[in-house]
Amino acid sequence: MLTLRHVSTGYGGLDVVKDISLHVENNENLMIIGPNASGKTTLLKAVAGLLPFKGEIEIDGAAIRGMKRRDIARKIAMLGQISGMYFSYSVHDTVMMGRYLHINDRLLGLPSEADRAFVEKCLEAVDILDVRDREITKLSGGQLQRVFLARTLAQDPEIILLDEPTNHLDIKYQFELAEYLKEWSKQGSRAVVGVLHDINLAARLGDRFMIMKEGEALAIGKTEEVLTDALLEQAYDMDIAGYMRSTLGMWEKR
Amino acid sequence: MKIKVILAAAAAFLVIIIGVGWGSVYIPPADIFSVIGNKLFGTALPEHIKSSTAAILWSSRLCRVLLAFAAGAALSASGTVMQSVMRNPLASSFTLGVSSGSSLGASIVIFYGASLPVASGASLPVMGFVFGLGSIFLALAVAGSLDGQISNNTVILVGMVLSLFINAVTTLMSAISRENTQELLYWQLGSFQSRGWTPVYILVPVAVIGVLFITHYNRELDIMTFGENQAMSMGVNLKVIKRVLLVAAAALTGASISFCGIVGFVDLVAPHIVRKIFGASHRYVVPMSAIFGGAFMVICDLAARTLPPVGELPVGAVTAIIGAPFFAFIYFGGKKKHADA
Repeated sequence: MLTLRHVSTGYGGLDVVKDISLHVENNENLMIIGPNASGKTTLLKAVAGLLPFKGEIEIDGAAIRGMKRRDIARKIAMLGQISGMYFSYSVHDTVMMGRYLHINDRLLGLPSEADRAFVEKCLEAVDILDVRDREITKLSGGQLQRVFLARTLAQDPEIILLDEPTNHLDIKYQFELAEYLKEWSKQGSRAVVGVLHDINLAARLGDRFMIMKEGEALAIGKTEEVLTDALLEQAYDMDIAGYMRSTLGMWEKR
Repeated sequence: MKIKVILAAAAAFLVIIIGVGWGSVYIPPADIFSVIGNKLFGTALPEHIKSSTAAILWSSRLCRVLLAFAAGAALSASGTVMQSVMRNPLASSFTLGVSSGSSLGASIVIFYGASLPVASGASLPVMGFVFGLGSIFLALAVAGSLDGQISNNTVILVGMVLSLFINAVTTLMSAISRENTQELLYWQLGSFQSRGWTPVYILVPVAVIGVLFITHYNRELDIMTFGENQAMSMGVNLKVIKRVLLVAAAALTGASISFCGIVGFVDLVAPHIVRKIFGASHRYVVPMSAIFGGAFMVICDLAARTLPPVGELPVGAVTAIIGAPFFAFIYFGGKKKHADA
């Protein structure tokens, strides 16, 4: 479904990501972990067509280089961290923005009945129908991220790229988001590629993992092959597994 | 929402009627319609209306009010675009150097008597418009060469630097010339006085077409307020649409400045008030900002010509006197709210 061959990318001529090759199958969730500044988000931006890159990136066999922005956005959507908002759109209007590529009324951009029905389905799917008319600036962080997830779903993509979308969210919302996306990706022609700092959350959502360090792929493979004590320590320069075991020990003593 | 739109349109119409009727000679609304009917459709003029009253209304007041409305509408629609595209509630065409460019164009005409080979009487507005628009093209070209994505920060920084540079050139020209500096100052302060109908015939269609054109991009404007990466990942062709919208906004500002001088604050004030009343969706914000801005400008011009016992105040000063406290309220009020939270 998604193939990267020898992809390098960065900013101002400097490669932050170096020679990454990977393949994501249909209905598969690939999680990318690694320390700060390892190039995870930069790689996602290249996959979304937001950054120029060297190498090849293909979606369903078609190279995204030279593809129109609209065509990329029909295949790939991005869900990032909650960023600053300047204006108070309603929840419904915000989610409707996800239908940008699908609305055919080119003069005023008025949505069709089908678009409205699709948005209702997305609002319902993430359980925010009850706040559909509320201003997004008056929502909690958890509700807001659900709105952005609904907008991402309204885009009706095949691949969702997650760029640390659970930052600032409490554990319950993090868990619910991961569970929802896990279910979403297993239907039809879909996949999730996610950058998450929380390894536990990533393990719940991911089928496969890639560990990045200093712009390179340290390891890529099935969860049990990649989330090993040695590889995690090599990536983070810290005994991650020992840290997790000690935390688990605290819980088990109770 | 429909009721709000109808009420706003009715209020704007009322403001226009008040603007036309109020002044040294009061003209009742019924007489206003009679004179307009007489001029446009040749209907009979009631006997009680003096020919001097009809002349004041037609040759002085009506064209002045329509020009003020069109200028306010153009500036406000332009301000809406700048704030949304730049994701900066304080951004305007003035930030990007349009007014500086227009001032430079006007200075060349005023100080050096530069004139067009044809229609030399239109030299000042044409040069003001061309230089105003030229400054935004230059800002975008420089920003594009520094940063292929023409990110907002780059555009704003380049615009401000360019604006300061052009202002310095204008100041230098003013210092060297010394003569006619009063004329430049008067032009810069803005006025709708004694402009006649010709600017109305140009600015009204420009404002209407510009507002409709920008409204056509209402969905892109909505999406762009969430950030550049987000907009691109949702399918917005940011590089093209950002340039198109910035140039359209600069053209509206440039057209307004070229006929009326530099009138600030309305482009900052109108979109903020409209968002509070009509919500954030640009389908409403763009046209309603134009209507609100037009009405606001008519009120400011009315104050400019009726408040002083003799002569007129520069309308640019009136909009600033009303706009500056509002600017402070929005900017510092918002900061205080965050600090208290």
